[in-house]
Amino acid sequence: MSVLLDIENVTMRFGGLVALDDVTFSIEKGSVLAVIGPNGAGKSTLFNVVTGVYKPTAGRVTFDGADITGKPTYEVVQRGIARTFQASRLFSDLSVLDNVIIGMHTRTKTGVLKALFRPGASRREMAACVEKAETLLRLGSGDLYEQRYRPAGTLAQADRRRLEIARALASQPKLLLLDEPSVGMDDTETDALVADIARLRSEHPELSVILIEHDMRVVEAFPERVMCVDYGSLIAEGGFAAVRADPRVQEAYLGKAAAHA
Amino acid sequence: MGGSTSSPAPRTATAAALAILSQLCGAALLYAILKAEGTWHVAGLLALLGLGFYLLERFPWIGDFVTASLARVPLVTMATAAVIVLGFPFLVGTNTYVLHLLIVAQLYAVLALALNFQLGSANIPNFATGASYGIGAYVSALLALNLGMSFWLTLPIAALAATLFGFIIGIPSMRTRDTYLALVTIAFGVVVQQLLNNLDWTGGPNGLVGIPAPSLFGHSFASPLQVFGWTLPSQANFYYLAAALVVVAIVTAQRLHGSRIGLAWNALRADEIAAKAQGINVAWYKVLAFAVDAFLAAFAGTIYAFYVSYISPDNFTFLVSVTIMTMVIVGGMDNIFGVIVGAFLLTILPEKLRAFSDYRLLFFGVVVIGFLMIRPQGLFPQRLRHYGGHR
Repeated sequence: MSVLLDIENVTMRFGGLVALDDVTFSIEKGSVLAVIGPNGAGKSTLFNVVTGVYKPTAGRVTFDGADITGKPTYEVVQRGIARTFQASRLFSDLSVLDNVIIGMHTRTKTGVLKALFRPGASRREMAACVEKAETLLRLGSGDLYEQRYRPAGTLAQADRRRLEIARALASQPKLLLLDEPSVGMDDTETDALVADIARLRSEHPELSVILIEHDMRVVEAFPERVMCVDYGSLIAEGGFAAVRADPRVQEAYLGKAAAHA
Repeated sequence: MGGSTSSPAPRTATAAALAILSQLCGAALLYAILKAEGTWHVAGLLALLGLGFYLLERFPWIGDFVTASLARVPLVTMATAAVIVLGFPFLVGTNTYVLHLLIVAQLYAVLALALNFQLGSANIPNFATGASYGIGAYVSALLALNLGMSFWLTLPIAALAATLFGFIIGIPSMRTRDTYLALVTIAFGVVVQQLLNNLDWTGGPNGLVGIPAPSLFGHSFASPLQVFGWTLPSQANFYYLAAALVVVAIVTAQRLHGSRIGLAWNALRADEIAAKAQGINVAWYKVLAFAVDAFLAAFAGTIYAFYVSYISPDNFTFLVSVTIMTMVIVGGMDNIFGVIVGAFLLTILPEKLRAFSDYRLLFFGVVVIGFLMIRPQGLFPQRLRHYGGHR
């Protein structure tokens, strides 16, 4: 399989704080990588560097053969990386449906002149978006489709997470970055989320997923490749069982004394 | 509409009756306010208006039902609106003062719709709409006076010049946000007014005098309008011209609002970081909002210049920008109908309350603060978009 995303020696400093320290890894087409690590370890910073929110202090990010280091976010999204946010960032005063349609921004083309002088074409484009968005909302778990004309801000927590994923998928990404998708979900909802991700992978065998998670139920479901980050550095990488058994990982999560107890 | 299931779908006959009736009521109220004289008369009408808004707020299904009816029979709605707009000057007759108020109100409606792209759709506080308005007026007036160009030719040129100005203020503004952005636009507005005041070729504080009236198919807009044996005062020419511009502004607003551009503006209003993560080039869309605002404002400026035939820097002060902003906030951000209502109310009411004219700035300040505290969404709040057959 070919490499989709390649992170080479990426360092991200904020003043004296080293949020990412010489991080190197890559992910292949069609694979899932789970990233674990304590709070503040630099997991979300990693997503921000990949999506161009931050320009790394040093290092290189290559996606699908092109250097995207420090490229503006809209260009990164255009190339096929979509993400969700740890604390849901929905467009809360817009409807659920509109949130998903906005996710299609990079896959639609109408500009001001076309919208003004060729309203028919603009309307057809929107109609096609509505259809696609409704399909996306029907596919996932939960009943987002029934709630599609509700303002996104009024959704329950689990639905907010689901909507974030649907919106990210609307851009037809090659790489999906999920930042703690199971936050605020109960066990049943988490199981449904795992099933959603698994279904997504079987429907889109080319799609790669990087998953930041604290909930080991989710990580366990995608055990092929797990990476643990602590203080901005990669401290362990491998299968789920091996990483969980790694003493440095236990130390990072439980503290030195507990890990050796 | 939408998530609420309380409003029943109106039947076609009911909808048509309601569409005609509601618009006639609106026109009657407007006529009554225009004709009102004396503080008590105005106060009574204001109380009536307040009661109406209270009822709409208390029983939201009334508003939903009327809106649904209007949308149900678009042809009837548009025909009624056309009859009212075309017929209003006949009703007003020879009262040129009322016609003048209507022209100014319509121009302000266009300006408020222009600002609505920024303030309403994208939440960009632009205090330079008055400057774009002034640039439109000055460019067209200078072209007409110096080069003898016809009104119809200056209209697009002035709009393009102002759009360029929109880009010029848009680009540096993108480096700032929120309060600082507001300050940058205030500065631009003041700079433009000062330039108009101090440059020789703009006529300085005296402004430009003797802008020739436009003519269409040999009919000069300075002469009375004769239709089917009726004679309307010359202001009626400009009334219809301004009405046409309002229609253009509404169509522009609707088309942009309904396209992916309107959605992108709404997205960056709600959450800029999330908007970027959807692949929206936030800086470009903000600049675009400046450009569209300036484009429409310049149309209004051109018509104003040719209507009054005399312009000076005093017509395009910071206060004008504040007035336009007040109209958008009062009417309802990102609600086309609301913004127009806001523009009409805030043009006509200060005229009717002449006794308090010294306190006009205070009046706008109190209105804005009051609305932001009590009803930040404005008289007519923004509505969720609905697609296809869904209601």
